[in-house]
Amino acid sequence: MSQIPVSVPAQEIMGSGHVACPGCGAAMAMRNALKVLGPKTVVVIPACCWSVIDGPTPHSVVGVPVIHTAFETAAITATGVRAGLRARGEEDVNVMAWAGDGGTFDIGFQSLSGAAERNEDIIYVCYDNEAYMNTGIQRSSATPWGAWTTTTPVNNPKSRPKKNIVDALAAHHIPYIATASVAYPEDLVKKFERAKSIRGMRFIHILSPCPPGWKSVPEQSIRISRLAVKSRVFPLFEVLDGWKYRLTQDPEPVPVNEYLRLQGRFRHLTPEAIDQIQQDVDSRWNQLQQRIASSF
Amino acid sequence: MGHVLIDQEGKPVFAASTGRMEWNHTGSWRYMRPRYENKLPPCTQGCPTHEKIPQYFAQVKRGDYRGAWEIILEDNPLPGVCGRVCYHPCEDVCNRGEFDERIAINALERFVADQNLDRRYPASFRQPSNGVNIAIVGSGPAGLSAAYQLARRGTAVTIFEAAAEPGGMLRLGIPEYRLPRHILDKEIHDIQSLGVEIRTGQRLGTDITLEDLQNRFDAVILALGAYRGRAVDLPGRHLKGVRSALDFLRELNTHQPVDLPERVTVIGGGNTAIDAARSARRLGADVTILYRRSRTEMPAVREEIEAALEEGIDLKECCTPVEVLGDESVRGLRWIKTRLGEPDDSGRRRPIPIPGSEAVLETGAVLLAIGELPELESLPALGTTGSRIAVNDHYQTNLEGVYACGDVADGPVGTVVDAIATGKATALAVLHSLLDQKPAANQPPVVTYDQINLDYFRHQSRPALPHLDVRDAVQSFTEVNQTLSPDTAEQEAVRCFSCGTCIECDLCLIYCPDVAITRGSNGVPYVINYDFCKGCGVCVEECPREAMTFEEELSCTN
Repeated sequence: MSQIPVSVPAQEIMGSGHVACPGCGAAMAMRNALKVLGPKTVVVIPACCWSVIDGPTPHSVVGVPVIHTAFETAAITATGVRAGLRARGEEDVNVMAWAGDGGTFDIGFQSLSGAAERNEDIIYVCYDNEAYMNTGIQRSSATPWGAWTTTTPVNNPKSRPKKNIVDALAAHHIPYIATASVAYPEDLVKKFERAKSIRGMRFIHILSPCPPGWKSVPEQSIRISRLAVKSRVFPLFEVLDGWKYRLTQDPEPVPVNEYLRLQGRFRHLTPEAIDQIQQDVDSRWNQLQQRIASSF
Repeated sequence: MGHVLIDQEGKPVFAASTGRMEWNHTGSWRYMRPRYENKLPPCTQGCPTHEKIPQYFAQVKRGDYRGAWEIILEDNPLPGVCGRVCYHPCEDVCNRGEFDERIAINALERFVADQNLDRRYPASFRQPSNGVNIAIVGSGPAGLSAAYQLARRGTAVTIFEAAAEPGGMLRLGIPEYRLPRHILDKEIHDIQSLGVEIRTGQRLGTDITLEDLQNRFDAVILALGAYRGRAVDLPGRHLKGVRSALDFLRELNTHQPVDLPERVTVIGGGNTAIDAARSARRLGADVTILYRRSRTEMPAVREEIEAALEEGIDLKECCTPVEVLGDESVRGLRWIKTRLGEPDDSGRRRPIPIPGSEAVLETGAVLLAIGELPELESLPALGTTGSRIAVNDHYQTNLEGVYACGDVADGPVGTVVDAIATGKATALAVLHSLLDQKPAANQPPVVTYDQINLDYFRHQSRPALPHLDVRDAVQSFTEVNQTLSPDTAEQEAVRCFSCGTCIECDLCLIYCPDVAITRGSNGVPYVINYDFCKGCGVCVEECPREAMTFEEELSCTN
């Protein structure tokens, strides 16, 4: 095949009419996740963009039962849903917590860590748009170094690196962790299939382009996501049992600026700052390569 | 949603959303609108007959060879011929050439034709009579193409051919090692199956007159071709053994006895020169080609030049003849080296003889292949441009109801596909004039290389084209090039970018964040639900082949 074929399951669980912004990566991510998990799924959504995207009561676009919950409680609410289903003898239902980066990296981190340590039988998905987008683009601990947000203006952009959430989760020795991208839907689908086949705590980290927050044009959401992978800013890999690393996509690399230059949130960066980002990306890539090499 | 707990009064025990969101027509947010619109691939534009190349490739991929053939036949009734002899300008502009290697379009056209050698036109090609009766003079590629396009539209066509067999230059000029006659015969029979009558042995001016045809038919199309070798002012040109290369080919191709000396020199750099040289080589001669410019300027098909060199033909570039030597018969040729000066009117660099570089070549025959011109003596009333019949944009001559196309007319000349293209255009112009049948509307824009989304393609090389071993090839007039295998043909069709032509790869549907794209039916690949499409444009941006268009939303309502 000359053209790289892409195929995902045909079933549509999520519907139309949601209120995600045009070109929203989080909407694409949910659509593909549910194609795999199917109708026997309960979704737990803490405060995040998706609290709004889903639609106003008494309406919901997701197509399966959704529990909207407080910001810090995605993981523990999902834990409770699993316990309730188990009490009712329903073992064939997928329980998925679906939280943004704020609810995962910052506000929900305590309950996430607890659920991970107890190895609760849930799939926790963080769709990471790298700031509190829904409330007005405030920085989170997922915002990358150097990025503009409304709380890290261009004369004082974010001075701390993005928290490495995968490392943090790996430290809990959970059975399955994966990173995924909406630009690689087949890879994303495979990871949800693998997650579905495993019991215990599963964590999937999806980079989720946000045109208003990233100051990018909606039609380039997929292009930008793909460049995040190609530039190795967001490599696609899996971690089994907290220590076995495996790369799932390894496209021809491109300089980080290919990724950065399509986003207004990085437009103020000096060439020196871009070099700094390139160095950080390279060293994290090398670290990942070492972990992969010592994994099996 | 069947998970909502209901109390004894039938009310939910807690607040639960049971409605979907389809009431919310997010299409009203849209200020840009995507739509499916195929664009023009550069190959289709580059092909003089505008064959729909990605469309027939799609049928090849499916294994529907008849379907592929019928798509080619919309524009060209001679794919078996063109798949062998065309200079394939389509390939020169192939976008894939900038990525890795251009697609072997010509070989695929031949493959499709060869898969259909036992098939006949579908019944739908025979249309009820439109009441129009046309005479065509000449059954070469231009005349056959015009006849075919007219007959497919219900027109009665009679072709008057001077030679004993139809085909024109395809039969008289092109050697059998490039175009086996059963291929040509098959494609002519197909055209005749539409009711086209071909009367052979009817020479204009001798057996028939233009006035007579004008009186008997609604219109006359002149497609006589160009058979007279261009005159040359070369001392010794009247010696025995100096002759037109085309006359030599014509004798050979009509199976007359050809007496050739041991050493033959061909003068010229076009396809006639190469055909004559390779034919003489097959008759056992030692052959030299003399061309006054360099190899890159030679008008012959590149692959033909390469094949000639492989077959042991000596090519003397930048050499021009000065004098043919001999008493009664040719003994040799005095020639001089040239250097290339400034470009001339044809855009090619002018050869300038280098003084003192003369030399003599021993040769028993000199074949002149320096271009052919039409013979217009029998048509004194027609306006000309000097050497060819003058025509306007609608292929009309100065005489009412008389049209001209192919090499006899002014315009693109000298190649089979240009003759087919002008024949087709002339047929459509005739019908436009007589029946007011309008030709197709404006063409969409051409897809450029930078519009291809390269992220979806990986490098893959062009297949080697099968051909006879050169040692066997020069022993006979057996066809040199061979047909691709079905596997190779399919792989090559798949390798095509399919510029501007939807191949139903599903990417638009997969990426849509609003679940607003569904598969269509009845030949429509996809349908966009504008009630929900927010106009984000991801589908348009990601389409690997520019088969979608993104434009301003001009309607206030959906």
